[in-house]
Amino acid sequence: MELPPTLELDTVRKTFGDFVAVDAVSFAVPQGSLFGLLGPNGAGKTTVIRMIMDILAPDEGEVRLRGRPRTRDDLRRIGYLPEERGLYRRMTVTDQLVFLGELHGVPRGEATKRAAQWLERLGLGAWAKAKVEALSKGMQQKIQIAGTLLHEPDLLILDEPFSGLDPINQGVLKEALAELRERGTTILFSTHIMEHAEKLCDRICLISGGRVVLAGELAALKRERGGNVYRVWIDGPEATLEGLPGVAQVVPKGDGEARLLLAPEADPGEVLAAVVGRTRVREYRSEEPDLETLFIQAVRDAN
Amino acid sequence: MRTEAVLTIARREYLERVTSKGFWIATVLMPLFMAALVFLPSLLLLKTRTTHQMAVVDETGVLGPALVAALAPKSPEPERGEGLARLGREQAEKQMARFEVDLVPPGEPEAQRAALDARVLAGEIASWVRLGPEVLTGGRAEYRAASVSNILTQERLGEALTRVVSRVRLEQAGLDAGQVEDLTRATRLETVRVSATGGRAEGGMTGFFLAYFLVFLLYMVALLYGQQVLNGVLEEKTTRVVEVLLATVRPFELMLGKLAGIGLAGLTQLAIWLATAVVLTAPGVVGALAWLPEGQLPQVEVGLVVHFLLHFLLGYFFYATLYAAIGAASNNMQEAQQFVGFVTVFLVAPLLLMMPVINDPDSVLAVGLSLIPPFTPLLMMLRIAVKMPPLWQVALGYLLCTGFILLLVELCGRIYRVGVLMHGKKPTFAELWRWLRYA
Repeated sequence: MELPPTLELDTVRKTFGDFVAVDAVSFAVPQGSLFGLLGPNGAGKTTVIRMIMDILAPDEGEVRLRGRPRTRDDLRRIGYLPEERGLYRRMTVTDQLVFLGELHGVPRGEATKRAAQWLERLGLGAWAKAKVEALSKGMQQKIQIAGTLLHEPDLLILDEPFSGLDPINQGVLKEALAELRERGTTILFSTHIMEHAEKLCDRICLISGGRVVLAGELAALKRERGGNVYRVWIDGPEATLEGLPGVAQVVPKGDGEARLLLAPEADPGEVLAAVVGRTRVREYRSEEPDLETLFIQAVRDAN
Repeated sequence: MRTEAVLTIARREYLERVTSKGFWIATVLMPLFMAALVFLPSLLLLKTRTTHQMAVVDETGVLGPALVAALAPKSPEPERGEGLARLGREQAEKQMARFEVDLVPPGEPEAQRAALDARVLAGEIASWVRLGPEVLTGGRAEYRAASVSNILTQERLGEALTRVVSRVRLEQAGLDAGQVEDLTRATRLETVRVSATGGRAEGGMTGFFLAYFLVFLLYMVALLYGQQVLNGVLEEKTTRVVEVLLATVRPFELMLGKLAGIGLAGLTQLAIWLATAVVLTAPGVVGALAWLPEGQLPQVEVGLVVHFLLHFLLGYFFYATLYAAIGAASNNMQEAQQFVGFVTVFLVAPLLLMMPVINDPDSVLAVGLSLIPPFTPLLMMLRIAVKMPPLWQVALGYLLCTGFILLLVELCGRIYRVGVLMHGKKPTFAELWRWLRYA
């Protein structure tokens, strides 16, 4: 028998005054998956996450955990990293972590032990007794992530976890997420940077303008949509490719390289013939689309 | 409600405050500041004690010398008053101006008036009084001075004149001086409060003093710690810690924890101050008690002290919650400051209602007012101090006030929860109302 999804949103809607921030959003996060909630700035990602965490109440629809409506007690067992992060500035690093652990129901002794372990792991052992305000932004961010994980949640909700981290620490975080997934933690994170999701996620939900424009297993989505994307290398500027018949969109990549999103009914051979009619073609081949391409395609189709 | 979450939050708030340097600096500096505030004015007063030089033109021939005698400084009657009241009166008399009277024989009225007015204007004398023959038959004495706003001095002069005039009138009616002395002795009230435990002599002002002490204490504490509550509530908004907190605890639990933590930190400081004050003033108080006649030791019942403490706590948390509500509805300190004056309304209003309650503590008005939650801490305490109300009223007062505070905390939490996610814009009252019903 199949397990109910760890997290499920069922036609959730949220308006602020006349503004519809989130409209009929549904998706399911199966147990053990690493799920990307994607979309441009202002798409409604944070609103969706806040409704998952019961910080905002949806106007319509329901949030379910393991097949049941989510309760206040469930929330404590989730690890939540909000987009707007903050720590108590005058508190010491250890006290801060222990406090967050206790709020999530970890006894003080155990929380103290785990806090020390985490600080060692993050290379911040020397800062255990320092006040948070003495730490750099990046260090504070690490502390905050440690605080999110201290109570060993089996569901993680991370809102833009990579923002504010340098490339090295972004790498560290990616590894950490992959490792947590290995151990069976279900993870949902939001980002507007597609490359982050591309390498990590097994499932995605793309939202734009408060609506789901694409959702599902990443590999399957790429397979389904693959026939429509071609990569072309030409002599001369990519601008030569503008306005080709049968091409919905040109994504220039520089040095004469471009990605062509074909219109749904277009024939790839005719498109090639049209390109050849304009300039010399060095290479032309079908391609599995990257997430960015899928996103652009989906947004275009939705409109 | 998750009690352990409330306790965790309260503990954090408490420790953060009690372990800060600012807390201990304030704890040490405040008593020094208070001492300066208490002692400096009396030191200054000792130096500025004035002499009121005046001239008296006596046209009656009998009033003048008697008035001079009546105004001469004299030792206070030893049996007058008791304890605090006497100390207060002596202190006041010490600080009052001393009269220096110059008897001037009557001359031609117009010329003399001009001459004496000139002396007043030249600053040689502060004032002069003309006692015409009509004074003895009910007319007025004329008081002329450059400044007529020194009410205390005029009152003393008026009292002395009244005494002197009535004595002279009585003597003219054929009574001898000794009889007059006996017949004009003032009558004073001996106040006895009747209580279930039996009547006993007691200053009628005890209730009054207790209530005023409570007002003073609450006012001071509200000013001192209200700001801290406000800061504490605003802190999570400005540092943006709040989202993680709201995902794990209910807004009500968060608010209650914060109020309890910050409140207890304030009470800790207050307790340190009080303990210091008790230790420092103990020798003086013991000395003063030794001077009091037997049986006049001010007696305070244990029950009264317990009620006082409970009402203080209620009042304290009521005002703290008001400040928390302001913090919850504001985005930053500047915005919050505009609403702070609003809290004072709740301190001043019961103050204005104290007199009717004291005069008739069992009237419908007094009972009703003392059961209205924002007024309960002050007015119910006042009633208890003046005349113990029926037990059910006291209990109902506690119950209503506690319930009211919890309700406020709940509303506060709601406003906070919604307000925190809507940065930047100052909420209108219509929005606040929607926030309350929302969530």
